[in-house]
Amino acid sequence: MNKLKITAFFLFGCLLINCKHKEGEYHDVIEKIEAESKKYHDILMSSEAYIGDIETIEITEGDHTFLIPERKGQIKSYACIECHSKPLSDMQDDTPTRKAHWDIKVNHADENAMNCVTCHNGNDMNHLKSLTGREIDFNLSYKLCSQCHTSQFQDWKGGAHGKNIGGWAKPRAAMTCVNCHNPHQPQIESRWPVQFNSQKARERE
Amino acid sequence: MVKDSLGYITHGSKAYHIWMIFLTAIMLIGMYCYSIQLDQGLSATGMTDRVSWGLYISNFTFLVGVAAAAVMLVMPTYILKDIDFKQAVLIGEGLAVAALIMCLAFVVADMGGPSVLWHMIPVIGVFNFPSSMLAWDVIALNGYLFINITIPLYILFQHYQGKEAKPKIYIPGSILSVLWAVGIHLVTAFLYQGLQARPFWNNALLGPRFLASAFAAGPALIILVLAVIRRFTEFKIETKTISKIAMIVVVAAQINMIMLISELFKEFYAPTHHSESAYYLFFGLDGKTALLPWIWTAIPLNLLATVMLTINKLRNNPKVLYICCFMLFLAIWIEKGFGLIVPGFIPGPYGVIAEYTPTGVEIGVTFGIWAMGAFVFTMLAKTSIGIELGKLRYRKKDKVIVSETA
Amino acid sequence: MGEKKKWYKLDFGSKTKESAASSCGCGKTSGGCGSHQGPPPQKDEYTITADEFDKAVEGTMVGETRKDGFQQVFDVKMDRRTAFRKLTASLLIGAGAVQTSCSVVAGEETKEKAQIDWEEQFKGNYKLMTQEERNATVDRLVRSYQLRKKENIKMSSTDASKDVLFGYAFNISKCQGYMDCVSACVEENNQDRNSEMQYIRIHEMKDGNGFKFDEADDNYYHEVPAEGHFYMGTQCFHCDDPPCVDVCPVQATWREEDGLVVVDYDWCIGCRYCMAACPYDGRRFNWSKPEVPEEQVNKNQHYLGNRMRKKGVMEKCTFCIQRSRSGKDPACVEACPTGARIFGNLLDPDSTIRWVLENKKVFRLKEDLGTDPKFWYFMD
Repeated sequence: MNKLKITAFFLFGCLLINCKHKEGEYHDVIEKIEAESKKYHDILMSSEAYIGDIETIEITEGDHTFLIPERKGQIKSYACIECHSKPLSDMQDDTPTRKAHWDIKVNHADENAMNCVTCHNGNDMNHLKSLTGREIDFNLSYKLCSQCHTSQFQDWKGGAHGKNIGGWAKPRAAMTCVNCHNPHQPQIESRWPVQFNSQKARERE
Repeated sequence: MVKDSLGYITHGSKAYHIWMIFLTAIMLIGMYCYSIQLDQGLSATGMTDRVSWGLYISNFTFLVGVAAAAVMLVMPTYILKDIDFKQAVLIGEGLAVAALIMCLAFVVADMGGPSVLWHMIPVIGVFNFPSSMLAWDVIALNGYLFINITIPLYILFQHYQGKEAKPKIYIPGSILSVLWAVGIHLVTAFLYQGLQARPFWNNALLGPRFLASAFAAGPALIILVLAVIRRFTEFKIETKTISKIAMIVVVAAQINMIMLISELFKEFYAPTHHSESAYYLFFGLDGKTALLPWIWTAIPLNLLATVMLTINKLRNNPKVLYICCFMLFLAIWIEKGFGLIVPGFIPGPYGVIAEYTPTGVEIGVTFGIWAMGAFVFTMLAKTSIGIELGKLRYRKKDKVIVSETA
Repeated sequence: MGEKKKWYKLDFGSKTKESAASSCGCGKTSGGCGSHQGPPPQKDEYTITADEFDKAVEGTMVGETRKDGFQQVFDVKMDRRTAFRKLTASLLIGAGAVQTSCSVVAGEETKEKAQIDWEEQFKGNYKLMTQEERNATVDRLVRSYQLRKKENIKMSSTDASKDVLFGYAFNISKCQGYMDCVSACVEENNQDRNSEMQYIRIHEMKDGNGFKFDEADDNYYHEVPAEGHFYMGTQCFHCDDPPCVDVCPVQATWREEDGLVVVDYDWCIGCRYCMAACPYDGRRFNWSKPEVPEEQVNKNQHYLGNRMRKKGVMEKCTFCIQRSRSGKDPACVEACPTGARIFGNLLDPDSTIRWVLENKKVFRLKEDLGTDPKFWYFMD
């Protein structure tokens, strides 16, 4: 019987040692992250190469500094004043044929809140304007969005909203609002999933 | 001795030869099936990412129990010096060896890469001890196999030379084997019990229930085997021996029954999300009911056999006893086999229900391995009976006289 | 007889002995063994490593199909029981036989292939290899691919960097269920196309039902996002205390210093214990030989990542180790059109993943199991 006891103790002991083998010092991963990031040194790795040929500009908002894609170069008809040489009212005539921007439909909030001139400055088409009429650069259009969408803006700055570009390492680059959302129709459209797993379906019959 | 026993096992009655040829044929079919499996990969089986262990591991689990049960005979014979069991014990250990070989075969058959199994050998490979319960199990099974080969071998060899075996040598081994037997089955239970991912297995009763069911099914099989031996050979097995083993079966079956009730109570009285596997097993889930016929065969058989064996009058009637033992064996094979393994995977970690049906290849390999077990056991039993009966004896210079009976 | 049979590789102790003597790998004296066509030594080589390299062999070798006699069938049972013991015992004998047979004849290429296969079959566990050994096996694999497929791959064995611990966050409110991530993952990681293996599952759940995975559908095909539903993706969570790692009997899977849980495909014995142990359905098994059309193979590979797998081994998401170890986002993060997937270094206090953990209401799945996943969910 003694032998049995000894064996039992031995087995139990082994199991105990076994349980202790994991990362003994930390109770859980959060604790580990907190402790280990105290002695964090910037790593040498860079994600710069993965940004590819996207031209970026650096912005600083609050505590966050990161890169966003340059915008003006991507707008086909920029600079706007090449056409909008006169004030908007002068350019609007009564002919029923529309010459430009015929494909743009505004479906953003409702008409009480938004129309073209909420964001576009009829007197200075090269720039956007804030609600209070201040000038906003096309490259920094997020400033316009953030006037209403404050919580999304907070998340975007921190990295919880929006899409990262390239890699996880520094420098951080993120899509800006208009890279994903069409400002005139900001809803993401529904579509079909890109794939269907026929094998999975068969397995579960 | 090897030569003699080889000679001995290759001779026998017509029935013996037919039996061995029959087993060989099944083994060949099994090997053919295994070759298909090796060629195509495990996709030749019914297992999928959803139910990733099937018939092989089910049989493995059950057979570990059978192997462990030999101890129930070893203990009274060698340690408590109960003479009654002496004839039975060699048979029991032979059965343990055969069961272990089958266990190992089932595990190997279940491997995706049998060609790299050397990775598991300590020193040459990497042995994840003591972290992995599978590593424990490898040690436990091989150690038990070693013990169960050496002890009878020693005793038989002594008898073969016409000497008495020395208790001083074999008793410590026997004590070790007793502990070890409990160990192999507990470790095998821990293999499943330790998985927090599978609530159906992750319960404290699994280990004890494994033991109880093993000590019912194993000796039940031994009774059946002894009955066969009694019928076909001159080897004397007293009724007293069989009824004593029957006693073990009864007690184990009763304990097993209590544990079953406890398990059912826990799963169905206050069912939680974790009881879904049990629901699937007993009632089916989402119209998926593949296991219902099996489990509802097993439970009544188990119940009936336990009740019948509990009644002395019935138990003492050999015919009833044999039938009960067979029923019990079958019931536990279902219950501790795929009745335990398959529901562990259903529903999957994210509630997906995909059923498992073994393929022909899988069933073929399974039968092949069972046939191999029977083959090994027949050879072992024949040799040991031969030696015990005094028909197989070492003679200086003379050739061994090989008996034609058996 | 006409079909290819690969089980005989197990018996290579006696086989190599035979072949050394008779110059025919099949051990069958009468005709029809099929091996007489090719040069004897190379036949022998394939016998040994058939299982491991059968994919490559089948791919391009012409006139060297491996066929064998019926009698090999008889060895199987013996081998199954004693496979491990025999294998070890025959190691030395086999080595000798192969060395000699290698030096006899045959073209340089075949010899080299044989040499590679041999060394690959008996290499150690990647985790325990020295840097030289690691480089050597990577070189061998690259060379082997070159010899067989006439294509060059780039394989790295980059180690974990100091001060990096990878973490992942998934925005449930953002995911629209397009499954772009799923497709990108399959293409990036060279997963088997036949069985349509996928690491990522996107579960479509009903609003107001909570996280009911059992009522969710992870194989929907209709316009998404569906009315009244939300989407939740799962994959390997790279637990910090991974149960799959604990149970592996041969340490073929482990947690790297940067938190990635990886598998050494060549060390895995295919017991699938890890699969049973994973509470998150994060592991996949190659039930048959994985196949990827040559033109779709991603040739930028990592030893522990997306290199070609073989039949009968486990695999899993590695957070695209071939990308993440060099600073790139995993394929799923890159492919996600909604920005629902956030990946980064948990130890960097300025990383976006840290900001998410500190500022959003995050949770993990099945936290009560104590596996400490490094994959968090959050909502806007």
